[in-house]
Amino acid sequence: MTCGRCGSTEPCSPTIHVVDDDEAMRHSLAFLLKSLGVAVECHPSAEAFLANHRTDRPGCLVLDVRMPGMSGLELQTLLNRAGSSLSIVFLSGHGDIPMAVEAMRGGAVVFLEKPCNDQLLLDHVAEGLRHSTEACGRAATTTRVRQRLDSLTSRERAVLELVAQGKPNKVIAYELDISIKTVEAHRAHVMEKMAADSVADLTRMLVAAS
Amino acid sequence: MPRGAILIRLGLLALALLCAPLAAGAQPPDLRIGVLAFRGAERAAAEWEPTLRQLTARLPDYRVRAVPLDLAGMAEAVRAGTVDFVITNPGQYVELEAEQGIVRIASLASSGDALRARTVASTVVVRAARQDLRRLADLRDTRLAAVAPEAFGGFRIAWREMAEQGVDPFTQTAGLDFLGFPMEAIVAKVASGEADAGIIRACLLEQMAAESRIRLEDFRILDARMAPGSPCMVSTRAYPDWPFAKLAHTPERLAKRVVLALLSMPGEDDHAWTVPADYQPVHELFRALKIGPYAHLRHRSATEILHDNWPWLAIAVLGALWWVLHVARVEYLVRRRTEELKRAHEEARRQREEMEHGARLALLGEMASSLAHEINQPLAAIANYASGCERRLAAGTDSEGVAEAVHRITGQAERAAAIVKRMRAFVRKRVPEPQPLDLNEPVREALGLFQATAARQGVVVSIRLAGTCPLVRADRVQMEQVVLNLLKNAADAMADQPRRETTIATRPRDDGFVEVTVSDSGPGLSEDARNHLFEPFFTTKPDGLGLGLSLSRSIIEAHGGRLWADESEGGACFRFTIPVASENLP
Repeated sequence: MTCGRCGSTEPCSPTIHVVDDDEAMRHSLAFLLKSLGVAVECHPSAEAFLANHRTDRPGCLVLDVRMPGMSGLELQTLLNRAGSSLSIVFLSGHGDIPMAVEAMRGGAVVFLEKPCNDQLLLDHVAEGLRHSTEACGRAATTTRVRQRLDSLTSRERAVLELVAQGKPNKVIAYELDISIKTVEAHRAHVMEKMAADSVADLTRMLVAAS
Repeated sequence: MPRGAILIRLGLLALALLCAPLAAGAQPPDLRIGVLAFRGAERAAAEWEPTLRQLTARLPDYRVRAVPLDLAGMAEAVRAGTVDFVITNPGQYVELEAEQGIVRIASLASSGDALRARTVASTVVVRAARQDLRRLADLRDTRLAAVAPEAFGGFRIAWREMAEQGVDPFTQTAGLDFLGFPMEAIVAKVASGEADAGIIRACLLEQMAAESRIRLEDFRILDARMAPGSPCMVSTRAYPDWPFAKLAHTPERLAKRVVLALLSMPGEDDHAWTVPADYQPVHELFRALKIGPYAHLRHRSATEILHDNWPWLAIAVLGALWWVLHVARVEYLVRRRTEELKRAHEEARRQREEMEHGARLALLGEMASSLAHEINQPLAAIANYASGCERRLAAGTDSEGVAEAVHRITGQAERAAAIVKRMRAFVRKRVPEPQPLDLNEPVREALGLFQATAARQGVVVSIRLAGTCPLVRADRVQMEQVVLNLLKNAADAMADQPRRETTIATRPRDDGFVEVTVSDSGPGLSEDARNHLFEPFFTTKPDGLGLGLSLSRSIIEAHGGRLWADESEGGACFRFTIPVASENLP
């Protein structure tokens, strides 16, 4: 099952990515995680993951901390910087507290030690998937609003901003030095183009897009 | 005695002998008298003529005949019983008395004013000029002249005296000349200086002086003393003179008649017979000299030897005893020291093994967390597979996946077991056991133990092993220990380096050694480190013991190889060599 880009309007289903340098570990994790009924992909290193996958799709990384080459924490930093909505479950064979602290500060779902309780792992991965999906959903809304905003003319945009500020048509006509009739026409266009049912709806869209 | 007179007497004797049977009218039996004729038959006949005459006169019913015999002939005649009586010297008499049982019936006496048993003694004479010779004891290392070894008056009497003074004439003189008769020749030899001393019968010297053939003052008599009942000076004690003896088979009656005839014989020419003398002194002489009947005394019994030499024997026995004890003690000490040495050796070996074992434990201890992680990996994988299976079984789906997972579980369990096995083999307590070995094998084992640490410390290991490595004779675990120690050192040295690379290589060399090299990209060795690298307890690591390299070197050297730090561009480079097993040399 493939997943569309986060923020795109295509249907979005998440993927679990297992990144571990140990083949047996990768395979066994994938075997376990498949019981969640979600697509699982395996990658032998952070670099391999980056090379094969766009980071802007929803999903959950099950990530080994220590690997030859790029470490798990380094990958986390990289994804955060890229604004990825992937959530991360860290798995470590020899984790220590500073490592765990750094991982959690970087927004990890959890930092688990190998071998870990299978239910705990599955729960956290599921949680990570949910988070990622939600984040991805949020991103899709923003994209949609931006697209609609882009379709507005400059006069419609100016009217939209004043409408969002809650100003009456009279005031808008006065401030823009146009007739009330013209304001009403623009306002109708804006509501139509933005697919907004009410001014409150419109205001929420603008907040999301900002 | 003038020669004419002797002939006349012999003639008379022969006449008498011829007449006797005629007078008897029948052939009378022979009465044969063996006479010792040491100066020839002629002189013997002359000497004993009065005796024969007397016997012929008194025993007309016998044909009395003198049978002149020498010493050997006399002994033979007595043994064969071909004579009835013998006249011989005291020495032979004593011998025959002991051997053949002859019995003396009269002894020679001097027919002077008083009939007295005659005696025999010897005179040992030297030139008066020889001031150094005064006693018989002085005769040691001088040249001696005498009559014959068996001569009684002419040698044996003096021999006894000399022996008593501690001089053996046969072995302790410069020479012993036996000149035979006449004795005057001995005196002449002494006078001429050819002999230092001469043994002669008593009175000969005086007799010669009386005949003016010598001057008495030219000679000196050793140990001079007066012979009892004689005017002459002698050097020895006196012994009874010749006996007249009967043989064992001679009838008593005949003997009695002969004795009567002899005792009634008038003294003539100083020849007369008297009752038999005591020949004990002669026996004593023979006993003292261990000759004649006492020759057996020469073969001394063990008891006598023991008795005579007991201090020496005691010393010898003590010495032997001491020697035996000494040998036993030395043997005991050697055995004990050998035992102690063996024990000490064993103890040292045991301690070495303990130390090597300790070092292996420490080495593995330093890598414990890496190894734990390495074991943890398969265990975690197993746990994941098991959980996955559980879920699938609960859901009743994907039985194929379950089957594969179970298969994978087996593989992971084996993987964990292999790691544990490798570790146990490395730290097991054991006696080193050199065997033909491909050095690549312990290198691979060491790499197996090292790989977790390398992964954890981010060390990239390049492996360049020789395709074919000639076998060496070495202990597998010890080799593994050395290699692992070098790898661990390399990893530790590079802990703070951005680039962490180590290379391990094996290579057969042309000089009959296999070389193993471990190099790293670390900071290299300081001058100080290079100088003290192989000393025990030298370490640059904060938690190191400083035993690894010194122990490694002693292990390598015990295998006949060498371990050293080589120059290399950047980083350190350690090499060691092990000789190729002799049976594998090309």
